[in-house]
Amino acid sequence: MKTSDILNKTKELFPYIATELFEEQQGRVYVCSDHFLNVLVYLRNSSFVHLANIFAIDWIEEKEFELNYNLWSYDHNSSIIVKVRIPREKPEIPTVLDLWEHGQVYEQEIHEFFGIEFAGNPDLSPLFLHNWKEIPPMRKDFDTEEYSKRAFDVGEREGAK
Amino acid sequence: MLNEIEQNRKERQSAWEYVINYFRKRSIWLLHYCTGCGAVELPPVMTSRWDLERFGVGPMATPRQADVFLVTGYASIKTLKRMIRTYEQMPKPRWVIGFGACTINGGIYYKSYNVINKLDRYIPVDIFISGCMPRPEAILAALEELRNMIQRGEAKGYDRYVKNYDWYKKNQKEILEREGSLFGEADDENK
Repeated sequence: MKTSDILNKTKELFPYIATELFEEQQGRVYVCSDHFLNVLVYLRNSSFVHLANIFAIDWIEEKEFELNYNLWSYDHNSSIIVKVRIPREKPEIPTVLDLWEHGQVYEQEIHEFFGIEFAGNPDLSPLFLHNWKEIPPMRKDFDTEEYSKRAFDVGEREGAK
Repeated sequence: MLNEIEQNRKERQSAWEYVINYFRKRSIWLLHYCTGCGAVELPPVMTSRWDLERFGVGPMATPRQADVFLVTGYASIKTLKRMIRTYEQMPKPRWVIGFGACTINGGIYYKSYNVINKLDRYIPVDIFISGCMPRPEAILAALEELRNMIQRGEAKGYDRYVKNYDWYKKNQKEILEREGSLFGEADDENK
């Protein structure tokens, strides 16, 4: 089955989503956060068994986070990105661990770097950052340069001889 | 050689120290521990093209038997923690070579939230190599300079660490065990 056929079939089943054929083998699905699990369950059952990645984008001017689920089907050799937007204030989204177990590290990482809660994920402990006290560092309103100056660049070599 | 010993005695280095330094500089073991991307320059230096071993320098697997700690490139905070443990395990005399721009002022990671900027604040560095990345020739030149410094008795980073132990520990603690946010409440109100 071609990617365009998969997209058309998905669109028939879920009329409230928007689809876009980005390249011959890559499609995109835009869906709201209330219905995104339905779409993911459908795609999981129609041979999209490989969750390649989850990544987040901070659209600070629109006050939204965008989560992208990269799916891959070995049967059809096609890739679909499911894009879902959630509000920036108290961001929360259901976990996809029941569909793809290996989503654990992706969700852990996104929780650490964007502060997005994954409802239903039992372990969202920090993976990478050591002793982090600020807001999550990949958010656009986090000033990395100022942080670097205050944390690592303070003072001259007083004391050491 | 007797003339050299006499000369060094005049420079307040006893004959015994001179002999010790003479042998120390001729059997340097590099600790085989790589923090960043600089590690890719080490295989050509150690293998037949540049052949580090003709200077009596060889790789060593454990810090307890190594003399020189080569910090190759950027050091993230988690790496810094391991680096301090490694450095403190090494027996005296021990020397540190800061390798590349990242160890001097952060290099291209200057603005990063997760990479330290000045390595010299946390462990004492005897000699820096500039460049991103330094060529193998630069590494050889740095080792040659380090050997000369050892002979002259100038490479005393380990003494500096002991004398300024509180200062180094304070700096390390600021990074590793900091309590509270760096951005105060006043900053939050401005945003």
